[in-house]
Amino acid sequence: MVQLKNVIESPCGLRFMLDELELQSGFARRWLLDSPMMTRAEEIDACYSVLRRFVEFVDQVDNTYINTLCHKLCGLKDIRTTIKNLKQGAVLDDIELFEVKHLAILAADVARLLGQHGMDGVVEIPVLDEVITILDPDGMKIATFYIYDSYCDQLRDLRVQMRQHPEQQDELLLQASELEEDVRKDLSRQLHPFATAIEQAQLALARIDVNLAKAMQMRQLGLAFPVVSQDGTSRYAAMFHPQVKAALAAQGKEFQPVDMEFGQQPTLITGANMGGKTVVLKTLTLCQWLFQFGFGIPAATAQIAVRDEIYFCIGDEQSVEKGLSSFAAEMKNIDAVIKASRENKKLLALIDEPARTTNPTEGSALVTALLRVLAGKDMSLVMTTHYDIEPGQARCLRVRGLENGTMDYRLVEVQDGEVPHEALNIAQSLGIDSEWINTARALLESSSQ
Amino acid sequence: MRYDSLSIVGLEKNTGKTECLKYVLDRLPVQSKRIAVTSIGIDGETIDQVTRTQKPEIVLREGMYFGTSEMHYRQRRLVSELIDVSDENTSLGRVVTARALTGGKILLSGPSSASSLKRWMDEMHRSGIELVVIDGALSRMSSASPAVSQSMILATGAAYSANMNTLVSKTAHIVELVNLDLTSDENIKKLMPLDKGVWFIDKQGCLNGLDAVTSLSRDIHFEGMEDCENLYVAGALVDGFLEKVRKNKSLKQAELVVRDFTKVFVTPQQFRLFLKGGGRLHVLQRSKLLAVTVNPTSPSGYVLDSDTLCGRLSEAIGLPVYDLLKNNQQ
Repeated sequence: MVQLKNVIESPCGLRFMLDELELQSGFARRWLLDSPMMTRAEEIDACYSVLRRFVEFVDQVDNTYINTLCHKLCGLKDIRTTIKNLKQGAVLDDIELFEVKHLAILAADVARLLGQHGMDGVVEIPVLDEVITILDPDGMKIATFYIYDSYCDQLRDLRVQMRQHPEQQDELLLQASELEEDVRKDLSRQLHPFATAIEQAQLALARIDVNLAKAMQMRQLGLAFPVVSQDGTSRYAAMFHPQVKAALAAQGKEFQPVDMEFGQQPTLITGANMGGKTVVLKTLTLCQWLFQFGFGIPAATAQIAVRDEIYFCIGDEQSVEKGLSSFAAEMKNIDAVIKASRENKKLLALIDEPARTTNPTEGSALVTALLRVLAGKDMSLVMTTHYDIEPGQARCLRVRGLENGTMDYRLVEVQDGEVPHEALNIAQSLGIDSEWINTARALLESSSQ
Repeated sequence: MRYDSLSIVGLEKNTGKTECLKYVLDRLPVQSKRIAVTSIGIDGETIDQVTRTQKPEIVLREGMYFGTSEMHYRQRRLVSELIDVSDENTSLGRVVTARALTGGKILLSGPSSASSLKRWMDEMHRSGIELVVIDGALSRMSSASPAVSQSMILATGAAYSANMNTLVSKTAHIVELVNLDLTSDENIKKLMPLDKGVWFIDKQGCLNGLDAVTSLSRDIHFEGMEDCENLYVAGALVDGFLEKVRKNKSLKQAELVVRDFTKVFVTPQQFRLFLKGGGRLHVLQRSKLLAVTVNPTSPSGYVLDSDTLCGRLSEAIGLPVYDLLKNNQQ
């Protein structure tokens, strides 16, 4: 089972999406990071139908109302240890009883706030009125707590004496502490049957926090609701990478959105250097994970096929830390894809320029062979390469590339995998040393003659 | 009391900080004012590491609010109502805020850093507390920083120095720093946002940054600063820097500015020389020193004459000085 925390540092840019998410409570963040990747279409549909209600809610109500709700959710604390103690029948101490009461009142407040806008039941919050009654014997409706006088007449008498005879305080406190402990035992016993409901209320509040944050993020970053694809083909219109887009915007530049479609047939992307092939792969990986963790998708429209496992292989720098050469690390990553493809699972593999660090002869052979091995398996494969290879059954896409000095990042379908020869032109446009580039050009001309 | 916060700081252990806090708490008008008490948590200082004696408990009065750690809350010897449990963890657990429903004893161990203390105080003030009293850390002035609390009481005594002359002059030095004058409003506005580096304001009122990152840097050069009006050190001010400023002719007329007295780490000797040479040192923020208390008894048993000490200290600092123990006995 893959949890969000396992993939959050993926180079595809998931971390950015989480950092941009305005969660109110640390507990909600922990809950989100612990949440498992969804692998069933119904589950994903259900998740998005809840999120859709929150987006409508955020659109309809005014900001002060949202702020009130956010402020409330700030008060959500992680009281799992307390709940565990309660479940095990332990006697809760004052701080733990306070935490339970605080949560119960918070849950009631949030339920009331959401209810005012027809949001009741979108996320089911257990009703904890009885818990509140147990911990609020005087009906004060405020989230403070102590062993109230009303729990025990004898205790009340002792406290009256304490105020009248401060000199006997220590002795009286000792007597009171025994009575207080009896009250705590009784309260814990009364609360015990509600342990599960309290736990569910805590989770419900975390879900509300997460959904509210996701809804606001969708509005802020211009994300779209995806549709679950039924035919195994994923289709994106005007897909973008939020982090790259934000970085470009900071430089006053614009991100050019890309359309993309891929299914069971392997897809090979070729194109000039700096043509955005790697960004396409990163975006596809990001979208797939966002989809299976129930976030908004960075595209105008998206139809996405559900996958059991997602592999993103990019020659990454982490391999150095593990003491592997970049080639060895890459081989091992791709090896894992091949092994997984032999198990009966629906995979998505996104592989960026495999075998790029070795010689072109063996490199081309490795890439061609990889395409052959993976073709026909129950998987979607999207791969980029600079090698001239025989595409076989693969569908070929090409970055349009340099046109009149500007880069067109859109993808076009081409009949073969022939790679463009634009490296020298692009290098020249970067202002790279002309002696170097011209010598390379001369070498190419002499070899082709 | 015109201030919304009061910090009580001891210059050394056994200078009577706890006595002083007790004295203050006993006299505050609990009925008419909402008062909260906390400590800048000296983590784990339940037992004095030097003398192995138990850290004294504070006696709270009915109606007072207080902030302490979970561990010390569980050991409380009073009836109290829980108001909040923070997310912030100290080594003694989270910080718990509560209200005393009876008088009684409590060990105080509040937020563990000046910034978290400030957050706690802001939260208290927001919820209607009119005065926060802070049991400051020993020989750590951070809780008395004007960035945290508006006023302070300083506890000193024979434990700080058993020689009366030394005690008076060392205490007077601290008091002098606490009482440093504020720089002009215009300077405050300009310099307040700068929290690091060394800066100067020229005669035209323009703000210029110096290459030196802190006043600790060895290679500080005051070149091209002939028209320097104000020299501002955002971080710590140390002897070496003060000496360089003093010896630099082009800075003769300049006013030296620091953030507040907690940033000044200069010896009385250097500071004297600086002032004698016509130097001026001002601050951006100051807290009001309300009083100085003394404990004439040192833990080793040496006792200074209380009246002489109070008299001489009061004369040196121009503020009332109290021996609380003696006053209580009378």
